[in-house]
Amino acid sequence: MSFLQPLALIALPLITLPILIHLINQQRHRTLPWGAMMFLMSAKRMSKGMAQLRHLLIMLMRMLAVGTLVFVVSRPLAGGWLGCVGLGKVNVTLILLDRSASMEMTDLQTGESKRSAALKKVAQLLEQSGYGTHLILIDSTNGQAHKVDSPKALLNLPMTEATATSTDIPGMFESAIAYLKANNSGRADLWICSDLNEHDWQPDSGRWAAVREEFSQLEGTHHFLLAYADRPSSNLSVSVENVRQRKSSSGAELIFDVAVQAEARNSGERRVPIEFEVNNIRSVVELELETWGASLQGHRIPIDARLSSGWGSVRLPGDVNPLDNRFFFVFSEPPVRSAVIVSDDARIGEAFRRALAIPAEAGLQHRIDVIPVARVGEIDWENTGLLIWQAPLSQGNIAEQIESFVNTGRSVLFFPPIQSSSNPRLVKDSDSSEHLFGSRWGGWQTPEQELSKITWWRGDADLLANVDSGNALPLNELRTYRYCNLETPGTTLARYGDDNPMLTRMATDRGGVYFCSTLPTAQFSSLERDGVVFYVMLHRALAEGCRSLAVTSQRDAGASVFADRDQWEVVEPAAEDAPTLSQRGLHAGVYRDDKYWAAVNRSRAEDSTKVTPIATVDELFDGLSYRRIDVAVGDTSALASEIWRTFLVAMGLALIVEAVLSLPSKRAEQKSLGDFTIAGRSGN
Amino acid sequence: MQLNRDYLDQQVLDRLSTLQLHARLPMLGSVSGAHRSPIRGSSLEFAEYRKYVPGDDTRRLDWRAYARNDRYYIKEFEADTNLRMCIVLDTSGSMDFANNGISKLNYARRLAGSLAYIAARQGDAVGLYCAGSDTSGTSEQDKGFHTQIPPKRGTVHLSTVLDELGEAEAAGETGLANSLHKMAERVPQRALIIVFSDLFIDPEALRNCFQHLRFRKHDVVAFHLLERSELEFQFDRPMRFIDMEGGEPVLADPTIIATQYQRALETYLESMTEVIRDTEVDYHRIRIDEDYSDVLARFLLGRTPKKRK
Repeated sequence: MSFLQPLALIALPLITLPILIHLINQQRHRTLPWGAMMFLMSAKRMSKGMAQLRHLLIMLMRMLAVGTLVFVVSRPLAGGWLGCVGLGKVNVTLILLDRSASMEMTDLQTGESKRSAALKKVAQLLEQSGYGTHLILIDSTNGQAHKVDSPKALLNLPMTEATATSTDIPGMFESAIAYLKANNSGRADLWICSDLNEHDWQPDSGRWAAVREEFSQLEGTHHFLLAYADRPSSNLSVSVENVRQRKSSSGAELIFDVAVQAEARNSGERRVPIEFEVNNIRSVVELELETWGASLQGHRIPIDARLSSGWGSVRLPGDVNPLDNRFFFVFSEPPVRSAVIVSDDARIGEAFRRALAIPAEAGLQHRIDVIPVARVGEIDWENTGLLIWQAPLSQGNIAEQIESFVNTGRSVLFFPPIQSSSNPRLVKDSDSSEHLFGSRWGGWQTPEQELSKITWWRGDADLLANVDSGNALPLNELRTYRYCNLETPGTTLARYGDDNPMLTRMATDRGGVYFCSTLPTAQFSSLERDGVVFYVMLHRALAEGCRSLAVTSQRDAGASVFADRDQWEVVEPAAEDAPTLSQRGLHAGVYRDDKYWAAVNRSRAEDSTKVTPIATVDELFDGLSYRRIDVAVGDTSALASEIWRTFLVAMGLALIVEAVLSLPSKRAEQKSLGDFTIAGRSGN
Repeated sequence: MQLNRDYLDQQVLDRLSTLQLHARLPMLGSVSGAHRSPIRGSSLEFAEYRKYVPGDDTRRLDWRAYARNDRYYIKEFEADTNLRMCIVLDTSGSMDFANNGISKLNYARRLAGSLAYIAARQGDAVGLYCAGSDTSGTSEQDKGFHTQIPPKRGTVHLSTVLDELGEAEAAGETGLANSLHKMAERVPQRALIIVFSDLFIDPEALRNCFQHLRFRKHDVVAFHLLERSELEFQFDRPMRFIDMEGGEPVLADPTIIATQYQRALETYLESMTEVIRDTEVDYHRIRIDEDYSDVLARFLLGRTPKKRK
């Protein structure tokens, strides 16, 4: 049990007051000469049984009355679990508020979202029970700690408003740890308000172990998880993919795919109207809903042929989560896909050029340049999407330029160097000691026939992912006759039978850096001859690298979504609904910076119905002082309620019982005087 | 008759002057008086006829009856005699109890003095016995009595009785039971024995005493004197009760034991009522805040014999 006025409990020893009064009363007795001792002695003998018990009960009732009065003054709190926790004196209270889009699930009766309900509950509780000297809010969008003046202020802060972002829960804990360590905060309470979305919680992340370890070293830290894990019975979310603008016989048109995701328990409307808005022209299409949702592939909307770029949105009727009912997209004419192949071997360079020159889609333009290492300075870095580097790893300015190129979102594919194409002298280990992106080439190897096959590759993502139909690329048909050893800390995407990597991706903030350990020509592998894997791999790298060349981009909402440019203006939502400067990028909408367009939407993961299992969440806090409170959105009851009335009633009952027990016996009272005078009673 | 005793109130005596003290049983007195005697006498009040037996005084033959029946009848008349009134005053320590008022001893003194006066005025003999503890008294014969004044007639004797009555002091344990038994043995002839006491003794012991006295043909009167606080036992704080008869003091919280006290008192009074009923004692339960003149008037009127037809 916890108390709003715990200092009042100091008065608890007052429950002994009745005993003290009794003892004092015993001491201040009056002396009286008494004649009727025979009755007195008899009464003393009789009072040893039930009478003593009665007076013991009276004493207990008096003590109970005083005790409950003290409890009433100390304003006890109770709230199921909270009664067991006990809110002690805390130095700092940290609030980790999940502001992800999924937290905007709204209770239709109360009109409150999970985020709003959680905020109110925590604010109310902290208002009642105190929060120490500091109240800190960890912003889920950027992990920054903000000092908050009072719990009530939480309700009006921009840092607690709804966003379309995803939340990095482990990251928030890391921010909390950093704050606590930096400020030597001492006793701290952490209130986590979240819907346990699996994408946000990342329960499989290795960071949790570190978080637990850090918290276990911080003494006096208590975690309270306000879990809104319940899912709505009916919710639809919409998203758009593959937005393409292309010429048509009637001028121009937009082609895109629409996906409507439904909650598993949805059993309401079987048809849903979808409203499209492009250039302020609206159209509605009704989709038949399956249990999982609905999809609309290759939907076409004609647009003005003179339009080079623009934006649009797809909207669903309102439901429990307003943030997943609209999806923005932007479009523009596709950019020229430009690739530069740096190789001193003309035949190898030609193999690359041939594979890249053929566009993967109609309407796309490709420009492929093959240049020797000596002419690297001529590369147009600004308009190039893909760099294929088949040469020794460079150092100095060239290396810096390549890194800068990657950082702007482009792709680089490194292939091992050879000395000469006509008389290839394979590079010795000693010849190539240069490092780039933490990797360096080793010596060439000629594997045995069985070991030359690709035995494993990553088919779920990246360059070697399965095709749209779900079929895997035929990497198992490839043959490698020679490959170059590679020392790299990167992630292997494909490996040979002897476990050496065939394709590796380096970890980067933006852009893609790949190392392929063999060459496409027949002397080294069957990449060029078999073609499919080579073609797909290069075109995917080209598409990825050229994405940053486009003037339009689809982006997931987040604090750093506009890090590349700083002149973004809000296009939609317009006027008063437009987010403030500090909140741009956190809200869904369309933004424009000169010729560049960006459509910011919630991450698709926020539509996921996957909730981290309760047991898994509990395991994440294993070994820590942790209490989970499962709350429903519509639950408007306070986390803790004052129960002084209960004690007041108990005090009243105690006093009534005491009064009843103290009442003199009617029988004795009547007999004491009634029928007393007897005169002349005799048998005469 | 001039009186200067504080406990006697002349106005009360004047008020009671029209009343007489009557014995309920025939008394054996030494002189003629106002009370019936078990012996036939020569008063004017006809008693009965009986057959003449030789030796009877022929002057008492009813010649008229002889004329009608041709038989000799002796006509007998009631004999009026005086009575011996023995006042037994309990002088145990508890009789000194007074709570904001008159003590039981003083109250008893007033009752006893007034009755002695009334008895003496009508020519009866008055005696006084102050019953103390079993160890009181100077000789073995006197054990149990502080004072023993056998009943005698006359104003001088009355004065002695009243003086002793005024000087009586309450102290020590009660020896009333033994004293009453001794009284039963010591008073040879029928007498009116009036006991003034709080009777704080075992009712069964008292039953034996009264039966003993009644067996000796005594007319027994008991004035049971109780103080209001002894009956109500209402105190608002713990009390240290000092035993007035010399026992151990008792510390008690009356609020706790009041019920039990009342229950014990009630049981005692019920037992006492039963004893009185069995022993046919003229019993008067008096609360001493009652005006003693009313008590006396009620007592005297209650003993007034019905008119003989």
